[in-house]
Amino acid sequence: MRSAFEIIAAIIVALAAMFMLPRILELFALINATVYVSMAVLALSLALVWGFGGILCFGQAAFFGLGGYAYAVAAINFADTTLAVPVALAVPALVAAALGYVMFFGRISDVYMGAITLTLTLILFNFVNSTAGDQWRIGAAPLGGFNGIPATPPLNFPGDPGNPLPPETIFLVAVFALLLCYILAKLTLRSRFGRICVAIRENERRAELLGYDVRFYKLGIFTLGAAMAGLAGMLFANCVFVSPTMFSLFYSGQIIIWVMVGGLGTLIGPVIGAILLNLLTTWAGTLPDINPSLILGVVLVLAVLMVPKGVLPSLTGGLGRLRPGSGAR
Amino acid sequence: MTPLLATEHLTMRFGGVVAVDDVSFTVNAGELRCLIGPNGAGKSTLFKCLTGQLRPSAGRILWRGRDITGWDSFAIARLGIGIKTQVPSLFDGLSVLESVRLALRRETRERARIQAMATLDRLGIADLALRQVALLAHGQRQLVEFAMVVAPEPEIIILDEPTAGMSAEETARAARLIRELNAQHAIIVVEHDMKFIRAIAKTVTVLHQGRVLIEDDVERVLADRRVHDVYLGKAVAPQQQVTV
Ligand SMILES: Nc1ncnc2c1ncn2[C@@H]1O[C@H](COP(=O)(O)OP(=O)(O)OP(=O)(O)O)[C@@H](O)[C@H]1O
Ligand SMILES: [Mg+2]
Repeated sequence: MRSAFEIIAAIIVALAAMFMLPRILELFALINATVYVSMAVLALSLALVWGFGGILCFGQAAFFGLGGYAYAVAAINFADTTLAVPVALAVPALVAAALGYVMFFGRISDVYMGAITLTLTLILFNFVNSTAGDQWRIGAAPLGGFNGIPATPPLNFPGDPGNPLPPETIFLVAVFALLLCYILAKLTLRSRFGRICVAIRENERRAELLGYDVRFYKLGIFTLGAAMAGLAGMLFANCVFVSPTMFSLFYSGQIIIWVMVGGLGTLIGPVIGAILLNLLTTWAGTLPDINPSLILGVVLVLAVLMVPKGVLPSLTGGLGRLRPGSGAR
Repeated sequence: MTPLLATEHLTMRFGGVVAVDDVSFTVNAGELRCLIGPNGAGKSTLFKCLTGQLRPSAGRILWRGRDITGWDSFAIARLGIGIKTQVPSLFDGLSVLESVRLALRRETRERARIQAMATLDRLGIADLALRQVALLAHGQRQLVEFAMVVAPEPEIIILDEPTAGMSAEETARAARLIRELNAQHAIIVVEHDMKFIRAIAKTVTVLHQGRVLIEDDVERVLADRRVHDVYLGKAVAPQQQVTV
C-alpha cells in the first residue's frame, strides 16, 4: 500500500516536472536540469547497491563512464542511437557481472571490495585519458583521450537516425528514465529477490545459515546497479558529451556524498540529495572566490555530524514513524 | 543404521589453539543430544564446523553417510540443518514476521506468512510480529531466532545456549518446546543449566578442552566425578567459569 502510494507520488512529481520545467526554464537551464536528472539516476543506482545491497561500491562512476562511452561509441558506429541505448546498459552490466563474480564468489572481504571498485575507476580514468591520437578508435569512433568524444550524438527518434531529439525532449526522456528506474527499484525491493538482498545486508551470516546463497544475490543487485549507472551515463552523454572526467574520483566521491546526505537505505533520499547538492554546487560556482568542492565537503561534514542517518530518514523519523520491515522510501 | 550426522576425527586449530581435537561423535535421527562443557571447551567451534562457518583443519563431517566437509553454509542449511547461534544472529532492521518469513525459504509468500505466524504463535510471541527485531529485549530476541530456526522444520536443530538471557518463564517454555520439537527433529543443544539438562536430556556428551570427555546417559554423566571436576575447575588450568 505504502509503496503504491509512493510510486503514485513519484509519478505525479515526474509529470509535473515534465510539464512545467520545459516551460519555465531557458534552454541552458533545462540542459543543466537534464544533467541533474542523470546524476539522480546515478545516485539511485548507488542507493540500491549500497543502501539495500550493503555493498559499498567506490566505483559507481566507472559504470557511469562505461555507460556513457559505450553509448557514444555504439551510436557513432551504428550511426543511429536506437541500439546504442541497450549497449549503454549492457556494457557496464557485463563488466559488473564479471567483476562481481570474482569479488563475491571469491568471497573477498568488504574492505577489499571498496578498494577493487575504486581501482577499477582509476584504471579506466587513466586508460581513457591516454587514448588520445588516431590509433585509439573503436570502429568509427575515436576515443579522444582527455578530450573525450565531443561528437557524441544525441538520441534520435527510435529507428530514425536523421531525426535527433531536441534538448527539451531529451529532458523528458531523462525524467521518464529516472521515474522508471525508481519504480523498478521499488518493485525490486518488494520482490523476493529484493527482500533477500535486504536480509543479507542486515546479516549475511544469518542469511547463509537459512540456506541463501548470498553471492548470487549480491552479484544480482551489483549488476542491476551497474546497468542503472550506465543508463545515467547515457543520459549524461546526451547533455554534454563523454569525457574521462566521468570516471574521475570527483564523481566517485560525489555519488557517495549524495547517498549519504540523502539517506542511506532510502531510494528517494539520494535522488533528492543528488539534485539539491548539484544545485548547491552550481550556485556556489557562481560565487566569487569559493570552491564548490569545499561547500560540498562542508555539507557532508555537517550532514554526518548532525543527521548521521541522512536527511530524509531523520525528517521522516522526526515525524515519529517507526518503520519495521524492509520497505523502502 | 547410518547416523543422521557424524563427525570423524574432527579437528579445528586456530594457530596453536586446538579448539576441537579429534572429535568423533554421531547423532541419530530423532535424537535429543545435550552437549555440555566448560567455557572454551570447543562447543561453539564444533557447531561452526558442522554448519560450514569454519572449515575444519582435519577430519570429516558426514550427513547420512555423505561427506559434507568443506561445504558452504547455505548448502549445508539446505540439507536441513538449522542452527541457533550462541550470539543471536538476527536481521536487526527487519520486523519479527519478516525475519521468520525469510526463514521459510521454500514457501510461497502467502504460505510463508501463515506458517511464520503459526511459528510465532507456538513460541508465544505472535504479539511481537510487527515489532522491529533490534528493539526487542534479549530474551525476546532469543525467541525470534528460535522461531527462524524452527520454522522451516529442519531435520536437525542445533541450539547453542538457547536460554541464555531468558526469564525463568521463557526458559520453561523453551524446555517444553524443545521436547515437543524432538518428536519430529533431531536436536543438539548446548546448555550450562543442569536443571534444564535434566529436564530434557537423554544422552549427554561432555566436551573438555576440545575433546570428548564422556558420553553417556544423563544421570550417569551428571554423577560422574570428572564432569564435576571439569565444571568446578579442579584438575584444570584456571579458566573463566562464567556462563554467558
Ligand atoms: N576464531 C577464533 N580464533 C582463535 N581462537 C578461537 C576462535 N574461536 C574460538 N577460539 C578458541 O577456541 C576455544 C573454544 O572456543 P568455543 O567458543 O568453541 O568454546 P565454547 O565451548 O563454545 O565456550 P562457551 O561456553 O564460552 O561458549 C577457545 O579457547 C577459544 O578462545
Ligand atoms: Mg560457545
